[in-house]
Amino acid sequence: MKILHCPLNGPRNISEFVYGGQVKPMPNPESATDTEWAAYVFYENNSIGVVQEWWLHAPSSYWFIVERHNGSDTILRTYDPSELLSNPGMVSLEDAIQ
Amino acid sequence: MTVMLTSPIHSLPSTPIHGGLSLEDASLAARRGVRGRHAADHLRDQGLTVPPVPNQIVASGDDQWVMALSRREFWIINPQQLATAAMPDSTAIASEVWPLYCQHSHSWLILQGAQRADVAAKLCAVDLRSEAFPLGAVAQTQAARVSVIIAHHTNSQQQPVFSLFVDQAVSEYLWLTLQDAMGEFI
Amino acid sequence: MTRSRLDAPFGQWIDRSESVDIRFEGKTYSGFMGDTVASALIANQQWLLSRSFKYHRPRGPLTLCGHDANTLVQLPEAPNRLADELPISEHRVINAQNYSGSLERDRNQLLDSLGRFMPVGFYYKAFYKPFGSWRFWERIIRRKAGLGVANLTIEPRYTDKQYLFHDIAIIGGGPAGLSAALTAAQAGASVLLIDDQPHLGGSLNYHRFDIDAAERAPTLNHLRTQILDNDNIRVLTSATCNGWFTDHYLPVLQGSRMYKVRAKACILASGSSEQHVVFRHNDLPGIALCSAIDRLIMLYGVAPAQRLAVLAGNDQAYLTALNAHDAGIAVCGVIDMRAACDDANLVTALQARHIPLFSHATVFEAHANSPGHQLAAIDIHRLDSHGAVTEHWTTLACGALAVSSGFMPAYQLACQGGARLSYDDGSALFSLTELPEGMFLAGSVNSIHALHAVLADGAHSARQALRHLGLAPVDSRDDGVSCDVSVNHPWPIFQHPKGREFVDFDEDLQIKDIVNSTRQGYRDIQLVKRFSTVGMGPSQGRHSALPTARLVAHATQRSVSETGVTTARPPVKPEPLGLLAGRRFDPARKTPLDQRHRALNAHMVPAGNWRRPAFYGAPQARDRWVQEEALAVRTNVGLIDVSTLGGIELRGVDAAQFLNRFYTFAFLKQPIGKTRYVVFTNEQGVVSDDGVAARIGADHFYVTATTTGVDTMVREMLRWNAQWRLNVDIANVTSAFAAINVAGPNARAVLDATDCSIDLSNDAFPYLAYREGHLGAIPVRMMRVGFVGELGYELHVPSMLAASLWDMLMNAGDPLTIRPFGVEAQRLLRLEKGHIIIGQDTDGMTHPGEVGLDWAINRQKPFFVGRRAVDIVMAADPCRQLVGFTVNSTCPQPKEGHLVIKAGDIVGHVTSCEHSPTVGGVIGLAYVHPQDAAPDSLFEVRTDQGVSVLARVCALPFYDPANARQAL
Repeated sequence: MKILHCPLNGPRNISEFVYGGQVKPMPNPESATDTEWAAYVFYENNSIGVVQEWWLHAPSSYWFIVERHNGSDTILRTYDPSELLSNPGMVSLEDAIQ
Repeated sequence: MTVMLTSPIHSLPSTPIHGGLSLEDASLAARRGVRGRHAADHLRDQGLTVPPVPNQIVASGDDQWVMALSRREFWIINPQQLATAAMPDSTAIASEVWPLYCQHSHSWLILQGAQRADVAAKLCAVDLRSEAFPLGAVAQTQAARVSVIIAHHTNSQQQPVFSLFVDQAVSEYLWLTLQDAMGEFI
Repeated sequence: MTRSRLDAPFGQWIDRSESVDIRFEGKTYSGFMGDTVASALIANQQWLLSRSFKYHRPRGPLTLCGHDANTLVQLPEAPNRLADELPISEHRVINAQNYSGSLERDRNQLLDSLGRFMPVGFYYKAFYKPFGSWRFWERIIRRKAGLGVANLTIEPRYTDKQYLFHDIAIIGGGPAGLSAALTAAQAGASVLLIDDQPHLGGSLNYHRFDIDAAERAPTLNHLRTQILDNDNIRVLTSATCNGWFTDHYLPVLQGSRMYKVRAKACILASGSSEQHVVFRHNDLPGIALCSAIDRLIMLYGVAPAQRLAVLAGNDQAYLTALNAHDAGIAVCGVIDMRAACDDANLVTALQARHIPLFSHATVFEAHANSPGHQLAAIDIHRLDSHGAVTEHWTTLACGALAVSSGFMPAYQLACQGGARLSYDDGSALFSLTELPEGMFLAGSVNSIHALHAVLADGAHSARQALRHLGLAPVDSRDDGVSCDVSVNHPWPIFQHPKGREFVDFDEDLQIKDIVNSTRQGYRDIQLVKRFSTVGMGPSQGRHSALPTARLVAHATQRSVSETGVTTARPPVKPEPLGLLAGRRFDPARKTPLDQRHRALNAHMVPAGNWRRPAFYGAPQARDRWVQEEALAVRTNVGLIDVSTLGGIELRGVDAAQFLNRFYTFAFLKQPIGKTRYVVFTNEQGVVSDDGVAARIGADHFYVTATTTGVDTMVREMLRWNAQWRLNVDIANVTSAFAAINVAGPNARAVLDATDCSIDLSNDAFPYLAYREGHLGAIPVRMMRVGFVGELGYELHVPSMLAASLWDMLMNAGDPLTIRPFGVEAQRLLRLEKGHIIIGQDTDGMTHPGEVGLDWAINRQKPFFVGRRAVDIVMAADPCRQLVGFTVNSTCPQPKEGHLVIKAGDIVGHVTSCEHSPTVGGVIGLAYVHPQDAAPDSLFEVRTDQGVSVLARVCALPFYDPANARQAL
């Protein structure tokens, strides 16, 4: 069984975690076309390479981000989602709806 | 009519203490929790000792222990004091310090004895032997497929124990499962 | 009777002072403590142990270490156990399996002579047509091909699991593993040493290693003493590591326990599987691997037969001949398939013992004794310079034949970890490459065979593991160990015109079966396996993989390295399912009122992972209880435990803002002390959960969620807020509060009879309001709710006070004959009110418009999760609508899941349907075509046995359309 390093709880069996999907920026719900919104909701980027994913450590209800190479299943880095805020690719909801 | 706090495990037979190994229901003992950005500062202002990093437990005063579950969540447990039947606080204790309901949400089991880590290894994937999980360590993990918080500290006789905090709805299940796991050591 | 037991020092593992009797096939055999069932039987000249899977040929032990399927026997409690693994100390009654009549005279032996009518792929082809014929033949074939018999009356044994944590796990306790363990432990690492035999030592227990047998015993004693004295080493014997999983997670089976070993590094010292030789009747009992013969003599002190021959493909086999001779067994000849052996001293040693040597020859055919149960003689033929069989040389009478054509690494665990097994056709050497990080090889699995090299390789692997763990400095000069001992014969396969040269004993496959598979067009080794079933038996290709690869390579003009071997997957050996199950952890959630329900004779049913009362009373009278309980709520008062309802507390200055973004309704202006219905739509616009939000304070909400949805809701909330970063604390308080709903026209009277601090009048505490107070000394949160459509108070109480509250309410309601009601009555009552249950009346496609929840969506606010998708799906033409319906009481009652049909097409299904005593008929909810959604439209429901029923659409709710009763 794979071990995942939780930023809060340290190395744990993968069975303690819940996968939460890829990290993807939400398009502006006011201005996105139906097609763009459908792509955001339904499409996953399945190309081989490093992906950013949401993972939850279930016993502590702690969400964090995993950077994983989906070809080798190697985990490169795990970190608190607050780091995402400094990511210019993420559109903040405040910007989107105001 | 008298109001009584009822532990979910109250009707189950307890494990006889044998070879120092025992399982005890401490669900009626007092515990409270706080969470929020200023929770650690608030506890320090109250004169409590607060662990410097998450997943640790430290003694604070005579009978009290403070357990850090994250940088902003702390439980204060007191094995010697009985809980009251009052409605737990729900409004902010201080700015951004929210009380938690761990008195009622979680049952409290205490596993004691030299073989406590061997018993736990039958249910839990975290290495709880003292080399890897010394006194003062806390693990938020799963045991026998349910979430559990395990804290390694000492009791009033200075014996090392595991305090297990488990969702009260599955506490009967975990109690029976622990008793089954203890079987080979008793 | 022949004396089969040898004197000490032969028989290291048996205790001659304690004899044990066993019964096999009804006859009594005598053995010693330390014997296995197989060794005890051979000691009594009983080589015949089983009948083969397909042809029912007589079979005896091949490996004597649990690595072949020939020793499968039936125990009273379990089938298919390996006789060479069963200690006779624990197993006294044993039977053979897979025969008809007796083991000696198996009537199904006839199948052997019919073999040529059952070519490879026979079953696939013969029963493919006509369609359905397999159903007829299956029962007959399964009876013939079945192995043991499962005993269904036996009490399952207690099995469990335990985690073990070590720095280094070493699989294999032979010389390489012992040496590795010692090196690692002496450097301070915590070591787990795992071996599948009852004693440590591996080949050091039985293999001669050198002509004078000088090194074996001292080396073993030295290593074993030091290992047992070392506190850093934990030894597990009679334990099988049955798989390698990511990050060195190893299932190790020992007795009735499965250890789940978590190591930081792992050393594979699993050794190698000795390979047999493929010739006619090579499967006769008495023909066994050299290592098996060595084990018999050295471990159990058993002479395999009066006369033994040895068929050698390497120098190692000569040592078996020397061993046997020194034990007093007549060795009638060593047949070497090579032109000459590598070490000329071996020839001298044979000569000194007057053992005849037949070089550059092979056994071409083996002959059975007159009952056909054991080897009696072997035909020896000369080989030409290409290794092809030529003229008959001589025939030797012998009761046992030891064979060795080489050693194949026990590659399974490495390959499970992604390693590649390669084979050099020129040198006949194997290599394992691309090992997973932290896995190291030692000994013969690494193709190292000479004892001093094996020991050095063990120490080297330990240093590699220590460096991997950071417990030893990086030393670039620590090169690997090399070994020039060659063990593999390039072509130990001798086709006979009459066939019966077995490649795979488990599946009864001969040379022609493998070759024919390639002629059918299956060139790929994986396809050959699937077509012929080679390697699929219990021994998992340990002895068939290499000859198969050679035959396929030869038949397709390729090299073995090009064809490769089939994929290795866990488990390495067959494993009892009970060990995988362990204690079967099945956590059922119980409310704090569970004992109260059981005391009231509740029929408990699973609801999600909870146990809830379905109704109170014996299940035989289910309908009666449900109707009575429902009637009590409609006409008097009932109470129900709703502790399983999810509870979420949101606190902070942004709490209202958070709810506004999360749920479909508007919450910013929700008054304090009021509740509001909440609906959650996910990003696909699908209705995923609902509940009630009570505003306790300006920055404090208490929100309920569905029983099964609350965990997901809390997770979703936490994840959204990890992005929104609103100032709100989100707490799952489901378990902190128990809840009881008191419902019915007399609900207020019951509460009035308690010492309630809250003014319960309709003016002071109207429908949908929230209040806090006390019932006597019990603190409560109270909501006026209307899920079942009557005056109702939902009381939320700290969970450890729930039992006290229940008792108080039952006492207060006693004069009014208050009645507890269960989930089934609640579902009927809410159906009468037309309230949907998320997950029952909705599915993974339901958007709010389909279930009449348009009113719960606030379109003034700029955003909520799912808003954009809801807009898109609700703008499209609707394709179905949830409606209420009734059916005539003379029709069969539709059930949940029955299909709604329109013009022959499926347009929807029934989601709820019950008989309602209040309405006086059958009522339900169903998805119908939007054209049929208007009241009084008729639609077709296909019920059981395809009977169509016409249902009539009915305006919702069925009961109390003015909603007057809940606002009393």
